[in-house]
Amino acid sequence: MLDLSGVELPEGMDAEVMSHLMSPRNYGKLESANCIGVANDEKTGEYVIFYTQLENSIVKDVNYATNGCQDTVVIGSMFTDMIKGNDVEYAQKAVQKMHEKLGDMTPEQQVCADIVFSAFSASLINFNNLIDGKVEEMHLVQMKESCDATNMGENNG
Amino acid sequence: MDKLYQKKHELWLHITFASFAINDETIKSRLYEFSLIAFRHMKWIGSDLLEHGNDYNYDRDIELYKRENVFEVIKALQSEVLNIQKLYTDTILGKRAQTDDAYLLEYLRQVLADDANNQEVTAFNMQRVWNKGELDASQTDALTLFLFEELYKEYELILVYAYMQARTSNALHFNVFQDLIDESHFHLKSFGNMMAKLGILALPRELHEMTYIVKDLEKFVHDGIAEEEAAKEMCKQLSESIHEEKLSKFFDFINYQESYHIELMKKLL
Repeated sequence: MLDLSGVELPEGMDAEVMSHLMSPRNYGKLESANCIGVANDEKTGEYVIFYTQLENSIVKDVNYATNGCQDTVVIGSMFTDMIKGNDVEYAQKAVQKMHEKLGDMTPEQQVCADIVFSAFSASLINFNNLIDGKVEEMHLVQMKESCDATNMGENNG
Repeated sequence: MDKLYQKKHELWLHITFASFAINDETIKSRLYEFSLIAFRHMKWIGSDLLEHGNDYNYDRDIELYKRENVFEVIKALQSEVLNIQKLYTDTILGKRAQTDDAYLLEYLRQVLADDANNQEVTAFNMQRVWNKGELDASQTDALTLFLFEELYKEYELILVYAYMQARTSNALHFNVFQDLIDESHFHLKSFGNMMAKLGILALPRELHEMTYIVKDLEKFVHDGIAEEEAAKEMCKQLSESIHEEKLSKFFDFINYQESYHIELMKKLL
């Protein structure tokens, strides 16, 4: 993990965003996951997959992966950092906290945030479905809005 | 999944990013040549696995550590090359890879033998200064985001096309994939070296199998064309917003290359 807290960055892009860009946290498959959710944008082919390990309503561990743009990567990285170790209720509130953290997002960035949150929610649905005895490798949700690559740094001070 | 394939994938990245990290043009260029040889090894090892009814994936376990000088980069690379040796099989392909690696190790030894080669590595200094500071903060941010976006995209394209190329029996498709792979290697090299110049060199993130296991070629091509169009637009915007002549011309040049990629991709339909 790249810690940029002590690094003096030139004026411009937010150091936290830069750190997540250079080294996304909680990225890739998670062997210990007990539920998997995918949010897919059929129009662009973009997806986000969440691997969540839930124990007694606590997100013990969580990873994600995406073929999406850098906004999606950064939001996924920040969001997984926020929810790891917290309970599901906190994780659901973290969606709002992320909005506060990121400030005013462009509509395109909002779509990127939505696909990340939807993938996490899909993993929770998968968890409940498995508890109910349904055979489901992962839960898939289709997105209604499409994301275009945009500039994350422009709206983050 | 196959350990040798994964380690060769990692070694290809180690050599490629060592090349990007080093400023000396001669060492950079030689390492880049070796990286392309490593990529061919990867391709041949993959084909060999498929021929024998086995499979491979693009899982990897690799970190790009911040290095301060050339010798640190070279010594780390030396160690990676040595580590893979025990995995080669006693086959013609295994021997080919071993002799190529032996020559690479000899080259690395030669670099280490001359203290004059031990220059500072600036690829990780986070300064984000282009040349003598020709770009203002917003232009630098735009360039930074573009490079992160496209470095990943080119890495993704190389691996996705290689995965499909290894599995096609259509000669036209095979050739189109090869052209697209070659083009993406050039773009990866260009963008990686630019990131190093800005002091923000970082590995592209790992590919998930949902990205490279393509079930619908037609949809894949249509999505790919849309992505190329988006990349063209980003190049055009960067070219217009960056008031630095050489950089603007470079993005115009990349923009026209993307146009031809679209034509190549249409041949897959």
